[in-house]
Amino acid sequence: MATFELYRRSTIGMCLTETLDEMVQSGTLSPELAIQVLVQFDKSMTEALESQVKTKVSIKGHLHTYRFCDNVWTFILQDAMFKIDDRQENVSRVKIVACDSKLLTQ
Amino acid sequence: MATTTSGVYIHVIEDVVSKVREEFINNGGPGESVLSELQGIWETKMMQAGVLSGPIDRSLVQRPTPGGGPLTHDLNVPYEGTEEYETPTAEMLFPPTPLQTPLPGTADNSSLYNIPTGSSDYNTPGTENGSNADTESMLFIAATAFSMDKLNPRLDVNVAYEPERGNSNPQFTQDLFVPPSGKRKRDDSSAQYQNGGYIPQQDGARDAMPKANLDGNAFCITFVSDRKVPRDFTCSSSNIPQVDGPMPDAYDEMLSTPNIYSYQGPAEDFNDARTPAPNEIQTSTPVAVQNDIIEDDDDDELDDLESGEDMNTQHLVLAQFDKVTRTKSRWKCNLKNGIMHINDKDILFNKALGEFDF
Repeated sequence: MATFELYRRSTIGMCLTETLDEMVQSGTLSPELAIQVLVQFDKSMTEALESQVKTKVSIKGHLHTYRFCDNVWTFILQDAMFKIDDRQENVSRVKIVACDSKLLTQ
Repeated sequence: MATTTSGVYIHVIEDVVSKVREEFINNGGPGESVLSELQGIWETKMMQAGVLSGPIDRSLVQRPTPGGGPLTHDLNVPYEGTEEYETPTAEMLFPPTPLQTPLPGTADNSSLYNIPTGSSDYNTPGTENGSNADTESMLFIAATAFSMDKLNPRLDVNVAYEPERGNSNPQFTQDLFVPPSGKRKRDDSSAQYQNGGYIPQQDGARDAMPKANLDGNAFCITFVSDRKVPRDFTCSSSNIPQVDGPMPDAYDEMLSTPNIYSYQGPAEDFNDARTPAPNEIQTSTPVAVQNDIIEDDDDDELDDLESGEDMNTQHLVLAQFDKVTRTKSRWKCNLKNGIMHINDKDILFNKALGEFDF
């Protein structure tokens, strides 16, 4: 089953990747097993976001760059405003990377 | 159900650990201790990053601690799990004790070298002790005073060997017998298989060309090349090391985003192509490239932004899209199941609606 690897770039994904990297470098863990852990992380993260999170967010901003390649949209926004439930966040620049959700069901 | 970001992360960690536990424990995996270490380091890093708030609630998964754990984990090697990863030291490889009587499937075998030779490699019709014992006996003999008499009954050869000729001086041991200095010696162990007539070989391709000598009572095989070949590497010839790029293809095949994290194995001498560390990975098509094509003004502006943003980790949203539409210069997108890292905070969302003006 294919997995989305994009969540590996999140904080939790990067922490896991660094941990696995250290353990492989020290020989504690085999690279194959590390890959299996990462794949399982992809699945667990996707499933957790689907089932455990109920937050709705609204994003507005100036689109500086857009890119669609390999079924992945990449947007770079400037002066973006995020409305998360009852609070708001403003950032001067943010990158949005989005994979096609239909790919997972194929 | 966890509702906070930290709670969701804890759930993910526990879920991942519980699902990979079987891989760690069965089939000769590294064991529960390594899994625990992995989880511990992972959680520590997340706390240091500020996305996980302790204390961590462990009520979700209770890890079973097997009573006879270590003895049942490593099915291939009936040995203590911790020692499996110890670098063979001089004491382990060449203990001061005299030649021991090898026992079938003895645990000591694994302490000499960490190569799982597999007793099925070479059957020993002449002995009843198994080939593992033979290898062990070979190493012991190399360390202690060499005695052909003791060796003969266990000589394990695939070719017919001459009966005793009374010559008990091993001429071949001089060159190859080098006491290990305590560093990783997995690669040296191959050079020490000078007796017994078989070479436990773990890797698929051939190593350096063996040269067989029938000298006295001993059937010895020496390797033409002096170079120490790492055990993990298959080297078809002694002179031409060949390693093609990063190790796994699994990553590339499973690629679903342009950004690939290619896993590198342990650093080896021959591995020239190394992918950058994870935190150095940029997007596959960096914005700067596109800026060069479009406008120069924005290029400068973006560079300033990037340099200023370096200190705060770049604000990033990772999600899946359901639909992206555009009407003239107005873009709308429906996102779902996303992780946002903005203003040094991690925010998860189930649905997001974006409206951008280009």
